[in-house]
Amino acid sequence: MEELGKVHQLIIPLFGHNMAFNLDAIVFTWIVMLLILLFGVLSTRKRGMIPGSMQVIGELFVSKLYDLTEDALGREMAKTYAPLVCALFMFLVLCNWIGIIPHLEEPTKDLNTPLSLGVMGFFIAHYVGIKSKGFKAYISEYFEPFFIMMPLNLIGELAKIVSISFRLFGNIMGGSIIILVVSYLTYSILLPPFLNAFFGLFVGTIQAFVFTMLTVVYISVQAK
Amino acid sequence: MAIEGADIIKAAAFLGAGLSMGLGAIGPGVGEGMAAAKACEAIGRNPQEAGLLTRTMLVGQAVSESTGIYSLVVALLLLFVV
Amino acid sequence: MEQDIQTWISVAAYSGAGIAMGCGAIGAAIGEGYTAAQANYAISRNPGASGDIVKSMLVGQAIAESASIFALVVAMILLFTNFSTESYVTVSVVLSAGLCMGLGAIGSGIGSGFPAGAACIGMSRQPGTSARLTTNMLIGSAVCQTPSIFALVTSFILLFTNFSDRPLSPTWAAIIGAGLASGLGAIGSGVGGGLVAETSCEGTARNPEMAAPVTNIMLLGQAVTQTTAIYGLLISFILMFKTFPASDSLAPSMALLGAGLCMGIGAIGPGIGEGLTARSAVQWVSRNPKSIPELTRSMLVGQAVAESTGIYALVIALILIFVM
Repeated sequence: MEELGKVHQLIIPLFGHNMAFNLDAIVFTWIVMLLILLFGVLSTRKRGMIPGSMQVIGELFVSKLYDLTEDALGREMAKTYAPLVCALFMFLVLCNWIGIIPHLEEPTKDLNTPLSLGVMGFFIAHYVGIKSKGFKAYISEYFEPFFIMMPLNLIGELAKIVSISFRLFGNIMGGSIIILVVSYLTYSILLPPFLNAFFGLFVGTIQAFVFTMLTVVYISVQAK
Repeated sequence: MAIEGADIIKAAAFLGAGLSMGLGAIGPGVGEGMAAAKACEAIGRNPQEAGLLTRTMLVGQAVSESTGIYSLVVALLLLFVV
Repeated sequence: MEQDIQTWISVAAYSGAGIAMGCGAIGAAIGEGYTAAQANYAISRNPGASGDIVKSMLVGQAIAESASIFALVVAMILLFTNFSTESYVTVSVVLSAGLCMGLGAIGSGIGSGFPAGAACIGMSRQPGTSARLTTNMLIGSAVCQTPSIFALVTSFILLFTNFSDRPLSPTWAAIIGAGLASGLGAIGSGVGGGLVAETSCEGTARNPEMAAPVTNIMLLGQAVTQTTAIYGLLISFILMFKTFPASDSLAPSMALLGAGLCMGIGAIGPGIGEGLTARSAVQWVSRNPKSIPELTRSMLVGQAVAESTGIYALVIALILIFVM
């Protein structure tokens, strides 16, 4: 049970500071990125009116997510943000699925991945807010309903990053710790494959969808 | 085992932080659930307005979550400031 | 007056058994009572279907009872096992196992009563759908039992793992915290899951052609409702399997106990809230099948936001364990 919460780190001293790199997260993020690139190349190669199987999957995927974004953001903004939404969902789904293959680990199990994606979504949402409302109206929203509520409104906004990223992290990390403990107790007989399928495929897909939807919704709340 | 005053204060702060966030999570959890339930009902009645209803739901939930955020702030203060 | 370890362990085991069975009986009693009340109402509406209704009431009550049977098993183990050990940690282990199972059985007991009651009412309205209704009720209440199974797993791990070589302080607090996190955390998800299954039975009776999508949305809603119980299980696994350095002061123990309490209590509200959300969504899926995509989406977003206070509790618990 020693591996509970253990992270493989590469520590490089730089200008008197120790830079720590979480090797697992970095390596598996690159694997996921390569897989997405591969999928992109395969599904757009030899495009035609009569689509091949990869092209069908790709088209289905993109059109569903595009519709979703259009519902939430409207026709104009969907053009700008639908590619982001597709990429985010595809990345997260692959990240969560990759853990069901033995010896591979989910990059989302490392808090840095969901946190950085959450921060990204936060900045995009607030950029959209400033752009559509104007800087003055955007700032004055923080002083609603009273002037003194400003710090609490600010914390409320920042807490959104915490909740969106810890939701993904908690589910994926929780799944992997539960699988680890159960396989340790049952000597890996029978249960872990089912648990892997449940936490990896089912919960992983739902959480990836929820993360993507919340990012879209945060953008749409700021825009209106 | 010698227990000093400072130790007791720290112990109480830790326990208090846990209780603050734990108890503080009950109300907003149920309340936000109710808001979302009504939003689902409204979308069921009138699916065309789904976008508007979802946005209204989120604004309402954000407001009812504020007491949960107060508990979070109090818990963090107890952990890192006291 | 000098008491040895064995006396203290017996005291803790007997109190643990009492708590396990006492608390464990609350949920099942409420749930079964609710089912019986609904069944009576249903029979008064449609006395002709009384055979089917009584049958489904009994099946539903049998499932609602399983959570308290788990509690009985744990109480029996606590009463009749001879815990021979040289460490005071075992005192907290047996107490915590009882607490965990007793509290964990409350939610699932209450929750499983809802679908059974709704199934009885549904049978009085549409006696022809009784087979579909029974299947739906069985699936729904079986999923309701998951949180109490989490609590059972935690208390078995507590009882059958050897903790006696750990330092007494702060391990005692980690062990009690683990029991509380898993036990209290199961309450909300148990009740919430029951609320979802209730409307799914109602919807199946109202609109039998929609049985398949209604069951699917119910399972999705219940799965999301159970995430807070999974957070509770996560915190209790960390508390049980992480080794904490020995310490003479009170603060580290209280941090671990606080972490367990925080996650356990913090999971109750979001669990019930998410259940309420999924309940409405399932209800309207059966009434308005055309809007399934919109309803699913807004259900997931609503549940995710309702869960956020539970996530804050998770964050505070993780800080208490790993930072303090």
